[in-house]
Amino acid sequence: MSGLGAGSGSLEAVAEAEAAELLPFLRPGTRTDLQAAAAQHVLALTGAGPGRWLLARQAALVRAVAELAATPAPAPSRDAGRALVNLAAEPGLHELLLAADPELPGRLLDCALDPLWPWAEEAAAALANLSREPVACAAVMGKLAAAEPGQPDLERLVHALCTPSYNAGARLHYLGPLLSNLSQRAEVRAFLLDPDRCVVQRLLPLTQYTDSSVRRGGVVGTLRNCCFEHRHHKWLLGPQVDILPFLLLPLAGPEEFSEEEMDQLPVDLQYLSPDKQRESDADIRKMLIEAIMLLTATAPGRKQVRDQGSYLILRELHSWEPEPDVQVACEKLIQVLIGDEPEHGLENLLEVQVPEDVEQQLQRLDQRERELAQQLRGEGASPT
Amino acid sequence: MERSEPDPADDDVMDSFLEKFQSQPYRRGFHEDKWEEEFDKIPLFMKKAPSEIDPKENPDLACLQSIIFDDERSPEEQAKTYKDEGNDYFKEKDYKKAVISYTEGLRKKCADLDLNAVLYTNRAAAQYYQGNFRSALNDVLAARKLNPCHLKAIIRGALCHLELKHFAEAVNWCDEGLQIDAKEKKLLEMRAKADKLKRMEERDVRKAKLKAKKEQNQSETLLQAIKTRNIKLVAEAVSVDEDSILDGPSQIFLDGLSSENPCGARLSLDDQGRLSWPVLFLYPEYAQSDFISAFHEDSRFIDHLVVMFSEAPPWDVERKYSSEHLEVYFEDEDRAELYQVPPNSTLLQVLQHPRYSVKALTPAFLVCVGSSPFCKNYLQGKKVHR
Repeated sequence: MSGLGAGSGSLEAVAEAEAAELLPFLRPGTRTDLQAAAAQHVLALTGAGPGRWLLARQAALVRAVAELAATPAPAPSRDAGRALVNLAAEPGLHELLLAADPELPGRLLDCALDPLWPWAEEAAAALANLSREPVACAAVMGKLAAAEPGQPDLERLVHALCTPSYNAGARLHYLGPLLSNLSQRAEVRAFLLDPDRCVVQRLLPLTQYTDSSVRRGGVVGTLRNCCFEHRHHKWLLGPQVDILPFLLLPLAGPEEFSEEEMDQLPVDLQYLSPDKQRESDADIRKMLIEAIMLLTATAPGRKQVRDQGSYLILRELHSWEPEPDVQVACEKLIQVLIGDEPEHGLENLLEVQVPEDVEQQLQRLDQRERELAQQLRGEGASPT
Repeated sequence: MERSEPDPADDDVMDSFLEKFQSQPYRRGFHEDKWEEEFDKIPLFMKKAPSEIDPKENPDLACLQSIIFDDERSPEEQAKTYKDEGNDYFKEKDYKKAVISYTEGLRKKCADLDLNAVLYTNRAAAQYYQGNFRSALNDVLAARKLNPCHLKAIIRGALCHLELKHFAEAVNWCDEGLQIDAKEKKLLEMRAKADKLKRMEERDVRKAKLKAKKEQNQSETLLQAIKTRNIKLVAEAVSVDEDSILDGPSQIFLDGLSSENPCGARLSLDDQGRLSWPVLFLYPEYAQSDFISAFHEDSRFIDHLVVMFSEAPPWDVERKYSSEHLEVYFEDEDRAELYQVPPNSTLLQVLQHPRYSVKALTPAFLVCVGSSPFCKNYLQGKKVHR
């Protein structure tokens, strides 16, 4: 928010009045070139925080922009769409946006999942931004859940994400982060992990999707969230899904293993070519490790993760890993794999009741570790 | 309702009919000893239809058949009848006949697209069980053209791709089917199976690639070792000029290096970078030979000879082949000249001789007893260098 002095009140009022003047030019039926100019102006305003707040406070303006974003050519729907992406990126604005245009999530979903809509990626990006906050996420989910046949629903979303050729004109990478945000909700995880369907299985190959770290990151985030469902671990680790190799593969490098070691590894990790590259994005690497860590919460899960040779992959990763906090996460996971089994009562680490004073102590230790990691990063680490 | 008076004439006819049997036996009944056979011939009581209907044997059945397959019925009805016939054959596992029936049904070219799709799909199943997976696939594709959402066709198609080991295709078909019915159990199972097999196949490809690469590297190293020693190689193939001297690696030699010769031995490089060759010793006097699987290039001929002839070989009838009496020669094939090899020379020294060429990656040497009449005879008429 602008921190101007006494004159700021009138300046703001002027700006607001100016913004309001744009409204008639955004309405349908206006001359196309005027509409285009107005849309460009709106987009420029959304480039900065103050501009975004300014616009968001004018409900009619928001609604006009939102409707314009869904209007076919020659309307300037692309610029309107991009303006929405920027507006949605501002976390404080979600309530204002939804109040101004309750139909916004629905309209964005229709655009994002329309195979013929040219600006579907912008719609997906706006949704991805919106779904970051719980209230807006619930609104998006509401639209998806209420879907009638032919309407966008979770299945269509997953299908669009997993089908590269779904929309010939738009890449739809941002469906990844959208799904990741949605997977914070239990009902979405339930859909993804439905054993009578084939949903999560279709996401697995995307952990190797080289064209976009946005899509890849979204999928890995989704998988990590799914791994919180420890009741599904047996199924996830079993032959119906076989999630572990897909989590390990991006972490594996070109290192050669002996015949004995090779036999322990899952099929997908055997005989990797000498030019195998690891996942380049450190955040994604961290999420992968976190997902595997979650799978080790139960004793049978731990055993399975151990038995499939995860230690070998993580050992090599550890000696290669340049990022300190990822390395720490890797170390912790290795410790779980090679450590002794916990005592009776601690078999499911996700369900263990930690006494409050111990909890606080652990948090203090974590904090210290983070600080240490930051220091290391500042000192010797080369820019990535 | 009016009750007509029984016609007295009818009664008489009845009476006389019945009275007949007092004197004549009823002839149109079953024969006592053959009654079961005859029973089975009546269409209504047949348990199993005969595979071929002979109008003379079974006139009633032939009659029924002609009614069902009457050309005057609509194509749809006829096609349906053929479909049912095919299904019956299918149940009896008579897949050949099932295919014929379905084909007849399709030939009616009836307007019912769904029926035709079913006919194609069922024919595909019959082909599948006969192991004709490609024909089955063709039929399934035809079925899907008529009805893209026909789930049975998609399932059959996925099964065919599985059998043909087109694992990626199988997964794709399963996914398409699951778009229509997301919970179809057969498709879910098949998809998991096909995906696993696909990944195993990918692993096998990687493994083979790595192995080939390793062998290629080994062969190149060996060839390089030979080259630096200035040893000449000659190919077995007739097309290659006998005189050709290698400048760079040639594929024939690389192939030869990676494969084993018939005796299962091959050129190898040890940890110190020294070569060991498979070597042939030929004994022209008795048309015998000895094969040394790994003759280290720094070992001397005499060392091998001493060990090999520590006991007289069975073919040495005159017991004269002992190491101190033996002479070793190699032949320069171009000039048909022989060169004597001093027994205490190493293999490497001989191989590096300007007139020596290794043939088929296996150096060969002639061995005989120097003082023997055979040897003198053998060497006579040939130019010998010592």
